[in-house]
Amino acid sequence: MGERDKEVKQKLENVGKELLKQIEKGENPTYELPVRTLNNVFFDKKTGTIKLGDKKSERQFLNIAHSKKFMQTMLVASEIRKVIDQNATVSIRDLYYALKHTIEGTNENTFEEQSESDPCIEDIEASLDLLREELHLAASAKGIIAGDVQLKDGKDNIDLAKMGSGGWSVPSNVEPDKIEFKNVNADYLLFIEKDAVWRRFNEDQYWKKHNCIILTGRGQPGRGERRLAQRLVKEYKMPIYVLTDADPWGMYIYSVIKQGSISLSYSEEKLATPSAQFIGLTTKDVETYKIPKEVTIKLNNLDVKRLKEMEAYEWFQKKEWKEEFKNMKEKAYKLELEALSKKGIRFITEKYVPDKIKNKEFLP
Amino acid sequence: MPDGKESEKPLASDFGMTAEDLAKEFKEHSVAEFFKKNRQMLGLTGKIKTLCVIVHELVTNSLDACEEAKILPEIEIKVSELGEEYYEIYVRDNGPGLTQDTVGKALGQLLAGTKFHRLIQQRGQQGIGASGITLLSLVTTGKTVQVISGTGKGKAFKCDLTIDPKKNEPKVMNLEEIDKAFKGLAIKAKFKDVKYQKSDQSPLEYLRRTAIANPHAKISFTEPDGTTTIFERSSKDIPKRPIPIQPHPKGVTVDELATMAKYTKSRKVSSFLKEEFDRMGDKAIEEIAKAVDFDLNTDPKKLSWEQAEEIVKQFKKIQFIAPRLDALIPIGEDRIKKSIRSIVEPEFLEVVERKPAVYKGGFPFCVEVGIAFGGNAGKLAGKDEEGKDVWKSEIMRFANRTPLLFDAGGCALTQAVQSIDWKRYAIKDFENSPLTIFLHILSVHIPYTGAGKQAVSNEEEIMEELRLALMDAGRKIYRFIGHQRKEAEKEAKKKMYYKYASEVAVAIAELTGKSKKEIEEKLHAMVLKHLKLEEKKEKEEAEKLNNLTEEEIEKEYEKRKAKEKKEAEKAKPKKKKIIEVENGE
Repeated sequence: MGERDKEVKQKLENVGKELLKQIEKGENPTYELPVRTLNNVFFDKKTGTIKLGDKKSERQFLNIAHSKKFMQTMLVASEIRKVIDQNATVSIRDLYYALKHTIEGTNENTFEEQSESDPCIEDIEASLDLLREELHLAASAKGIIAGDVQLKDGKDNIDLAKMGSGGWSVPSNVEPDKIEFKNVNADYLLFIEKDAVWRRFNEDQYWKKHNCIILTGRGQPGRGERRLAQRLVKEYKMPIYVLTDADPWGMYIYSVIKQGSISLSYSEEKLATPSAQFIGLTTKDVETYKIPKEVTIKLNNLDVKRLKEMEAYEWFQKKEWKEEFKNMKEKAYKLELEALSKKGIRFITEKYVPDKIKNKEFLP
Repeated sequence: MPDGKESEKPLASDFGMTAEDLAKEFKEHSVAEFFKKNRQMLGLTGKIKTLCVIVHELVTNSLDACEEAKILPEIEIKVSELGEEYYEIYVRDNGPGLTQDTVGKALGQLLAGTKFHRLIQQRGQQGIGASGITLLSLVTTGKTVQVISGTGKGKAFKCDLTIDPKKNEPKVMNLEEIDKAFKGLAIKAKFKDVKYQKSDQSPLEYLRRTAIANPHAKISFTEPDGTTTIFERSSKDIPKRPIPIQPHPKGVTVDELATMAKYTKSRKVSSFLKEEFDRMGDKAIEEIAKAVDFDLNTDPKKLSWEQAEEIVKQFKKIQFIAPRLDALIPIGEDRIKKSIRSIVEPEFLEVVERKPAVYKGGFPFCVEVGIAFGGNAGKLAGKDEEGKDVWKSEIMRFANRTPLLFDAGGCALTQAVQSIDWKRYAIKDFENSPLTIFLHILSVHIPYTGAGKQAVSNEEEIMEELRLALMDAGRKIYRFIGHQRKEAEKEAKKKMYYKYASEVAVAIAELTGKSKKEIEEKLHAMVLKHLKLEEKKEKEEAEKLNNLTEEEIEKEYEKRKAKEKKEAEKAKPKKKKIIEVENGE
């Protein structure tokens, strides 16, 4: 067992010791955690990332509203310790299934859904200031990458230029002790929201023609993709451009890549890439590129609500973004990346993205 | 129900018939014929109901006799099936009994003791009397009634008895002294065209309710299938005899006034009015004298219908002091409580006795209301899927200590219950709650809706009194259910904490290497301590609850309603099934 593993294990055991002390004193067992909601999150202008504030909350065993969560958090902490002891890495889904069982003498399960165990993991990460990778946990891998990059994944040598039409699947742990870059030959990193669009770029050999790396998180990117992007950008000083749908959800993906998410705010320094720039789509593109109106989609209530929330985020308080949100609200439509196919299937790879990069038409 | 429509038929007096007319009719036609023709008028409609009426008449007779003689009643009733729709009914009491001289008149002469125009709170207001039963036995079977009677002192006697329908005279046969120190009266009679059925309207239910309204009586009942049920007495107080009172001018009809005038001993109308009516002062008489166009010094026997009408018209105009209220003898809160506890065995019981009031300006009345909840309260309606008992609410109506089993829908007592918004008192679904509502109205004159005398008419003042009593009891039950709900919550909380404690103990044991059992035990102790502390706080709150006014309960109700609505909306997609169960029948 490595030194770090020993430290992590110790931290987890201390949680148990602390609670045992409380129990022996007859005090209500209380576990203190940082608050991970919007009202305890701030935008650090210096680092350009979202950071967790110092508000704490208490999770108590003798509190109707907390009791089940308290029990779940303890189960998760004890299970993680076991995993580290066995020197294994498990997915967060594995962990969920390992802990799910019917509580003796009842018909209630410890966990009903994975969405109950995942926040407990995040709580432990945040309260003990540990990374998920340090807890031997992996999120399911879903991102894909291609480009002229050679790296070492454990003992295996991987050439991201020779991954064919499928690309290389990004592992969840891309820390330097796992993934070691050997050669990186790229002018920039293109982070694409959607899998289907990424495949268009790969098929058109965009990365070869434009000497770049193409990466997708297939929707909201996971930690692996974000950490990989951050490492490439930091270690090889390359720009990063983000390409998403022109809707509040796509734009929020950009925001997560750039400054981080609210729920993982405690580790954004390790995940966010503040230098990221937004290529598009924007609603302004509809006019600029004369995109026919019939491929736009009307904003629904949920879109409008989300848009309103985003307008209020501190990190979106920039002139350009205010204009874009205003335009979206006025036009009341959104636009999907695939809509550009209306202008020709290679319009996006041959015209739209190259033009934008050439003209440096980005949103900050 | 076969009785509903029939009993709506009018009373003799509704046709303007008087007691005199009735008596005349008895003379002109044979009593039997009158009886056959007018059975529905006497409430003898329907085979099931008729059997109930027979039991009612005989039991009422026994209760009255015992009460008058200041004896704690012990009544035995037995119904045996002799053939198809052919039954024998046996009733024995421990009352004063009848003498050889009085037995004929008491059981074999109709209208022998006429109760017309006697304003007194009495059981026998409905029905046909014991002699009516003798006649009913005769006209349905042709058989005599067997009687055994004894005073306890000296020898008892037995006889067969019937009625001569043409003369309306008793016929006593086979009179024989027997060597038994028997005390009381035993009657055995046979009837056809009647039917015994186990239902909410069976003699069993009638007697159960009779026992509730007469806590001083011990009643034992044997059904045709041999099952015997004993209703023990829960009180040793013999009710005081109610006193008859003179009619109040506001409560008298033209017919009654005219009839009273015919029988008065007074020589002048003015003295007749003054002596035979309650609250009639000289001033009122002066006013009437001025207003009517005839001389009040005339002989009341010569009073014409029109003149009687004029007097009644004046009665309506003149202000009288409200009638005296001391003529009403309620069962009493304590006695009702004891009796419901012993017979219904509820978990919670509240009884409210209202002060006497007056309806139509002339009739004193009083209501007593009880709400029994949980335990054996309500009607057992079967079992649910999980095998748990399902209870429905029941409404028990009484008039002058007599249960009303029929015509429930048209009765003011039922309507008063239905007019209450029970949700206000934490009773979510009135129909499907373990509730017994006891309603008793007592009056010198119960305003029945029809000849069946099974439903009280919807008089404004009566309705108001009933509602006030129900709401008062409702407030108390609200507190009880509120407390009960808290107890259930506490138990659920404890269960929840214990459940999670076992998991928490496992996790902490694994993290620390300590014993799981020890940690769990400590957590359990902690849970109990915590709940106790919570309970203490709640008790303080409960005290606040006890002092709640109607207005505060209202507010609390609105709050709870809003909360429940919110929760229901939240739970909609997931807990659809549960909501369906709650709304469903």
